[in-house]
Amino acid sequence: MHSNPRPRVRGLASVAAAAGISLLVAGCQATPGETSSTPVAGGTLTYASGDAEPTCLEPHVGGNYPQALIAGQFLESLVSRDADGTIIPWLATEWSVSEDNLSWDFTLKDDVTFTDGTPLNAEAVKVNVEHLKDPATESSTGYLALGKVESVEAVSETVARFTLSAPDSALLESLSQPWVAIQSPAGIARGMEENCQAPIGTGPFIVDEWVKQDHISLVRNDDYTSPPADAKHDGKAYLEAIEWRFLPDSASRYAALQGGQVDVIDNAQPDTIASAEKTETLTHLDAPRPGASNRIELNSGTAPFNDVAVREAFIRAVDVNDGIESLYFGSAERSYSPLSSVEATGYSDESLFDTDVDAANALLDSAGWTERDADGYRVKDGARLSLDFPVSTNQSIPAEQSLFEQIQATAKDAGFEVNISLLDLSSWYGVLAENNYDLVSAPYTKVGPDVLRILYHSDGITPAPSGYFANLSQVNNPELDGLLTAASEISDADARADLYEQAQQIILEGFHILPLYDQQNHFLLGTQVKDARALPTVSTPTFYDTWLSGN
Amino acid sequence: MTPGSAVTRPAQRSRNLRTSRWLLVRLGGAVFVMWAVATLTFFAIRLIPGDPAEAVLGGPGSQASQETLDQVRADYGLDLPLGVQYLNALGRLLSGDLGTSYALKVPVAELLLAQIGGTLVLALAALALAWLLALLLSLWSTGGGRIAAALGQGIELTSAALPHFWLATVLIAVFSSALGWLPPVSTGGAAGLVLPTLTLAIPLAGFLAQVMRETLLDTLDAPFIISARARGESERGIRLRHALRHASLPAISLSGWALGYLISGAVVVETIFARPGLGRTLLQAVTLRDVPIVTGVVLLVALVYILMTIITDAASRLADPRLRSAETGR
Repeated sequence: MHSNPRPRVRGLASVAAAAGISLLVAGCQATPGETSSTPVAGGTLTYASGDAEPTCLEPHVGGNYPQALIAGQFLESLVSRDADGTIIPWLATEWSVSEDNLSWDFTLKDDVTFTDGTPLNAEAVKVNVEHLKDPATESSTGYLALGKVESVEAVSETVARFTLSAPDSALLESLSQPWVAIQSPAGIARGMEENCQAPIGTGPFIVDEWVKQDHISLVRNDDYTSPPADAKHDGKAYLEAIEWRFLPDSASRYAALQGGQVDVIDNAQPDTIASAEKTETLTHLDAPRPGASNRIELNSGTAPFNDVAVREAFIRAVDVNDGIESLYFGSAERSYSPLSSVEATGYSDESLFDTDVDAANALLDSAGWTERDADGYRVKDGARLSLDFPVSTNQSIPAEQSLFEQIQATAKDAGFEVNISLLDLSSWYGVLAENNYDLVSAPYTKVGPDVLRILYHSDGITPAPSGYFANLSQVNNPELDGLLTAASEISDADARADLYEQAQQIILEGFHILPLYDQQNHFLLGTQVKDARALPTVSTPTFYDTWLSGN
Repeated sequence: MTPGSAVTRPAQRSRNLRTSRWLLVRLGGAVFVMWAVATLTFFAIRLIPGDPAEAVLGGPGSQASQETLDQVRADYGLDLPLGVQYLNALGRLLSGDLGTSYALKVPVAELLLAQIGGTLVLALAALALAWLLALLLSLWSTGGGRIAAALGQGIELTSAALPHFWLATVLIAVFSSALGWLPPVSTGGAAGLVLPTLTLAIPLAGFLAQVMRETLLDTLDAPFIISARARGESERGIRLRHALRHASLPAISLSGWALGYLISGAVVVETIFARPGLGRTLLQAVTLRDVPIVTGVVLLVALVYILMTIITDAASRLADPRLRSAETGR
């Protein structure tokens, strides 16, 4: 099998392309204008995160966004993605796939060592994949990402061979994610407790100290040699250190940025973005997350949304655009796609989402919801047209909660009663697991369009052992299932994109979702921070090229 | 000031007896309260939706495989019947073991020890400041005429009703964003302590001042004040030396309660001002359903509360002989 000719998929060509791409990447960068000035080495950057403090710094364990945010500073993946969505070399310089698409060979960079001195080799990659697949690691995100990887074999010192159970067109996208980043095998061998405190990677910074609920100190890796292909420079980082703080309150986080106590904040809220854009001292980095757009899912598994006319009526009845405009101060752009705007394979259809209350009323009349009760809500067979909308206060920012209230108010004109309940994250997942919802907004971050299979394949209606299921709109369409499965296995990029376009048409035209905007991911930076950017994988910030000017 | 040791021996013994009985009742009550708190916390956190196994797996919404879930449930004894889990937890607590955090995977005792300092510093600073503000306010409002009395009362009521989160936001907007005098988030130094302390102290000061003013006014009409006036003591001397001492008694016994109130207020204040401490630990643990940490923090706060109550009771017994003699009647 391995004597099969292995077409070179990517590799040197992408390195060459990377130079051209860096122009595009500049569009993502927070420092307009001053690109001509020369970077200055030194200094400590203070980063303030509004995300939850991770419980474990090793992103293999569990696997959530707060872990990804900081892990990107000290761990690296086999591949990365550029601003175009093209997979580019990182720890792997090139890769090839067998003709049956079941065997992938990754060639690693020479002379890369982890910060504990352990060499990066094929055996290390094997240890990492086995670590991710071991139930004792308690991995969720990374485990899912490598679902089709059966085993890894060290063919030579620098070539690691992945054997798959089925072709996986999303393998490279999956491997670019920080949840499957490569750690030192010696670090892993220390055991979970120690490795959670300070994982050991090949990245430009090293975890020095973690003072719980206060900060994590990162120091520069002076022997760094392995930037991704789209980085701006070689060798070690300019910054000497990063102080990573956790400031959960949005107002005090912004105040700390204004006062110069911190250099960068994440989770910037629409009002602070608007206020920052009026100043001369702050810049705004808008880095929407990849994967799915933020959308309201209409639960088509139960009444009343098991009737497509009622789903369409709801979508026609509500006014989303005015709400987004007034609540987001221009920081969020309306989406008409199931996918994030950073996904090149995203497909939009604006015409399906025009607000038209007359059309909504006509649809509801034809669906048998002809009467109205004293409160103005529609009634059929004695039951009110009532929709449960559990909202997670951890995942929906205040502006989004207000948007949902405006949707609630506009839906009333057509006779929908929307019951919003604000819940903490655990309770929210509990309500979803019990199938007690008609509307829900659940963000999903993943690199690449394969997120569509997770969210809309009927397999996703079957709950995971924890009760979680990803197909919250409960779309159950054999044609869609066929398209998504075929797309996940096809190797030709154009054919894959075509399959995903058809799949998105079915999702949109079936009125299963109400897209709102990209998954918002805004950073505000002091103007002293130069050349900070978000990695085009899961849009986490990287400070490898970053330097501090002036002072 | 007469020693009279020979005469008072039986009386001394009965007083000792009364004191030790008082102490025993107090300690018994404390143990009961601790058990009740542990039990309530254990079951309350199980009643709200959410699976503690997911706390181990990096938070809710985990897509872990069945194997992984089974492994976690077995590791942490979560596959046992709830009653057995409860008895196990109680047994561990009795042996002084607070368990290991589900999410952070470190011993709870170690975690609490690292976090209690920050909260105690904040709570004690706020208590001291609240006392100072309350004293000044009540002295001014009782001694400054009708307008001062009305204004003082208004200030007390308003500040006692201020919610911490609102006050914190306003203080940050004024002193950090607008004036730039004080940092909005903890910096490790004293400057970072000012705004959180003010946030906690102002509402408490309003409350304490209300209590002080009322007793101060009552005391100023008491016969011993009238006789002091008759002796020709100055108004200031009367207030500071006589009336205030009496007026402080109810406020002192409220201080035990106040410390508990401050520690619970720390949940909001520590989050807003990004200070490490028990409050923030508790908030994160509840969100993640991290049962051992929640139980640990709640028990610790209950313990502080009980200790403060015992101390303030003992102090009141020492300061006020009526409390001790009252028990003889029973």
